Amino acid sequence: MNSFVDFLDRRFSGPMARLAEQRHLSAIRDGVISALPFIIIGSFFLIIAFPPLPQGWEITKWCADHAAQILIPYRMTMYIMSLYVAFGIGYSLSKSYKMDPLSGGQVAVAALLLSIVPEVTKDFGFVIPMADLGGAGLFVTMVVSLLSVEVLRFCKAKNVTIKMPSSVPDSVSRSFEALIPVALVIGIMTIITVVFGVDLHSLMGKLVSPIVTAGDSYLGVLIPVFFTTFFWAFGIHGIAIVGTVARPIWEVYLTGNAAAVADGASKLPYIAPETFYQWFIWIGGSGSTLGLVIAMAFVMRSKYVKAVGRSSLLPGLFNINEPVIFGAPIVLNPLLMIPFIISPLVLATVAYIATDIGLVTPTSVMPPWTLPAPIGAYLSTGGDWRAVVLALVNIAISFFIYLPFLKIYDLKMLAEEKTDGKTDAALNQSGTTESF
Amino acid sequence: MKVLFVCAGGMSSAIVVNALKKEAEKQGVAMEAEAVGTPSVEDEIRNGWNLVLVAPQVRHRFDSVKAIADEAGIPCEAIAPRSYTPMAGPTLYQQVKEYIK
Repeated sequence: MNSFVDFLDRRFSGPMARLAEQRHLSAIRDGVISALPFIIIGSFFLIIAFPPLPQGWEITKWCADHAAQILIPYRMTMYIMSLYVAFGIGYSLSKSYKMDPLSGGQVAVAALLLSIVPEVTKDFGFVIPMADLGGAGLFVTMVVSLLSVEVLRFCKAKNVTIKMPSSVPDSVSRSFEALIPVALVIGIMTIITVVFGVDLHSLMGKLVSPIVTAGDSYLGVLIPVFFTTFFWAFGIHGIAIVGTVARPIWEVYLTGNAAAVADGASKLPYIAPETFYQWFIWIGGSGSTLGLVIAMAFVMRSKYVKAVGRSSLLPGLFNINEPVIFGAPIVLNPLLMIPFIISPLVLATVAYIATDIGLVTPTSVMPPWTLPAPIGAYLSTGGDWRAVVLALVNIAISFFIYLPFLKIYDLKMLAEEKTDGKTDAALNQSGTTESF
Repeated sequence: MKVLFVCAGGMSSAIVVNALKKEAEKQGVAMEAEAVGTPSVEDEIRNGWNLVLVAPQVRHRFDSVKAIADEAGIPCEAIAPRSYTPMAGPTLYQQVKEYIK
């Protein structure tokens, strides 16, 4: 078993983790993450516009009457998130090349905007269809942001710039340096969008629609769940790897659901945005470890297991579980790796069915991930109390899945503590390497 | 002594940072420690740190963090998985000790 685990780590999880650190993937990851504060805050205006209060109340009526105004902050942040992401991706990629990040961010925004043809209306003059800047435009954003920064880099590498005499101040000469690459990016995008009349957004929409459909299916949920805990089982930050690839798609789901809520739709289009995983599966952190930590702290008898459980309880409530992952440890510990991988798969199944058959409202709001799960689940569903029940049920399920495995581990540790009088020393050193 | 902890988002390291600080206090050593996420290392590294410690769950980014640290002339070490718990203050302190000037 141990050599098998070792083999997986060296041949599989290690190389894959390094792959996720590839420059362009990292730039997309950091770019999307940089937009999250705007998504989190913007999405909360959905709750204000449609408060989870009885229909008859005056305040509910007032909010409903003023929903369009209340939602303006949402429209200018989450609803057009691609604009923020474009700048973030351009910034991150330029920075990784040690080029001026500001130019990178700006050129990416220009490229994104030039993928859209503004419409002329009688009342407002030129108008940009805002939906193209939303979650649905995310894939176009990723491609044009990366490419436009690559153009910058190409020009820099090949010295295709206007060189100023050295007496010219730095900031002035830098603005001239950017002229040719900026002209190239604007030129290329104008040729695509205006001259050839290519609608990149509908083209990309068709291209990624199979992926978007697949990612929201039951299997599409199980796969990222499995890989997240699989990486963590080797001590590698699973979400950091899986999220690099999956987060853009998860954002499409979240913004799609949010737009449906804002439009007053009765049925939301997607089941599985990242918030679905966060509040119904990763309860207590990746691996659904809140149930485990509760069992360790209150049911187990070994001093060591109890101590790790107690010190991990409070962080676990706020979905931080490194203390238990490295403390128990779960990492490279075959006994605890098994429920660590199984439990989230079961919770995912329960949550998927509950959402699919309409027992629980799909998530559309993104609360900060460090909230306790029942609260986060309530807010994320726009105030559905049944989401709280689901979160609590899932905590109970994970508790019982971990229990038998933990019991064996507890007995093992108990036996070690009895024969080996150095319990306290082991506690201080948290040294359990001998046991696995 | 100033130690910079690096993990994914700077959240989990904060717990370990406290464990190290507590142990340093016990030993009577003035210790400043802070946790940041990997994307912030580059901006943070020139702020007078004596040592960079990389959390085990981002060990696949160790090389890139070390490259940044090397450039700034600051030693950079990985934290062993066992040392990355709230109870591991003493082991972590042992690792940091040799850098105390």
